[in-house]
Amino acid sequence: MTRFFISDLHLAPERPELLAALEQFCAQRLARGDQLYILGDLFEAWIGDDDPSALATQVKDLLAGLNQREVDCFVQQGNRDFLLGKRFARESQCKMLGDYVVIKDSGGAILLTHGDLLCTDDVDYQRFRRKSRNPLYRFVLSHLPLRRRQRLASEWRAKSRAASANKASSIMDVNEETVVQVMAEHQVTRLIHGHTHRPNIHQHGAKTRWVLGDWGDFGWYIALEKGAISLEKFAITP
Amino acid sequence: MITLRTNMGDIAIELDFEKAPLSAANFLQYARDGFYNGTIFHRVINGFMVQGGGMDSDMNQKEGRSPIENEADNGLKNEIGTLAMARTNDPHSASSQFFINVADNQFLNHSGKNPQGWGYAVFGKVVDGMDVVNTIKEVRTGSSGFHQDVPADAIEITETLISDAYADR
Repeated sequence: MTRFFISDLHLAPERPELLAALEQFCAQRLARGDQLYILGDLFEAWIGDDDPSALATQVKDLLAGLNQREVDCFVQQGNRDFLLGKRFARESQCKMLGDYVVIKDSGGAILLTHGDLLCTDDVDYQRFRRKSRNPLYRFVLSHLPLRRRQRLASEWRAKSRAASANKASSIMDVNEETVVQVMAEHQVTRLIHGHTHRPNIHQHGAKTRWVLGDWGDFGWYIALEKGAISLEKFAITP
Repeated sequence: MITLRTNMGDIAIELDFEKAPLSAANFLQYARDGFYNGTIFHRVINGFMVQGGGMDSDMNQKEGRSPIENEADNGLKNEIGTLAMARTNDPHSASSQFFINVADNQFLNHSGKNPQGWGYAVFGKVVDGMDVVNTIKEVRTGSSGFHQDVPADAIEITETLISDAYADR
């Protein structure tokens, strides 16, 4: 059994190649008994589980298809798709994970998180995050009329394209003290996260941190098999 | 006209020497050198594109000439049946590999002179044998080493024919 980790696909109707890449990835890399962990920002924007878009349907069908192939799929919310909820999980037959999850393998425990919580130097973002995760805020947002939410999402996507908001240079990196502290709290020596769009492997003393990349010219994934963790990439564009 | 003869049929191509002079001349030179003979379509994604011109049937990369400048700002669009240069994430890194669009791939078009927006330079189009391309795009693919989307049965260019009209190009 191999466990695969991906994040930051930023799927959007304007980027059909990314969904195509995910479909190919699922078809070619995942085998029966494997597990797929999506560590946030699967979507560039998620306006609520009642999203009737073709993209939403395609992704839910794709993930539900994994379940049929006996591949378990786990999804964490990211900062761009934090409204992913129970209905999405039901329709795509995935299990939603909390912000921090510890999994075990033969080498011990591994902490999984999207990564935005580790960027504690970004004070404005952390303030927004606290606000956006407030149940009242989420309730109000997810109960706006669908049309209004669709327009909002489309504006968000246009804005992030124009401002190159998805480039690593526009996203703050993690705070190393926070990383060490969070790993200690969860009693792990291994951490996998995304969010920063800076794919790499870092050592913090005896602790190791794997960072997933965002999908664009390349698709990134981490494979965990028999205690060995590898960060891999493949071409998406020609 | 250049005809790529493959084990699945002939694909005839017209190059756009007006709008993509560097890329068209580059492709013609590879064709004249017989470089493409023995290369395969090594990356086939239905609904996207079929890519070839740089790998042999054992998935060994064939060493091309120096990379060329990216002409994606020439106004030609990545539409069904067009040919464009493949490259690494450096916009000006195309050498021999090309791809045939089997969808209207708007996101591959030029949108700005930066690494994200350079896009992929269209330099020609299929004028005959689109049925062959459509058969290729449907073949079964899998992963091979570090490569994904590799046809299970190799689709090889066996011969490259150049029409007299290109003799003085």
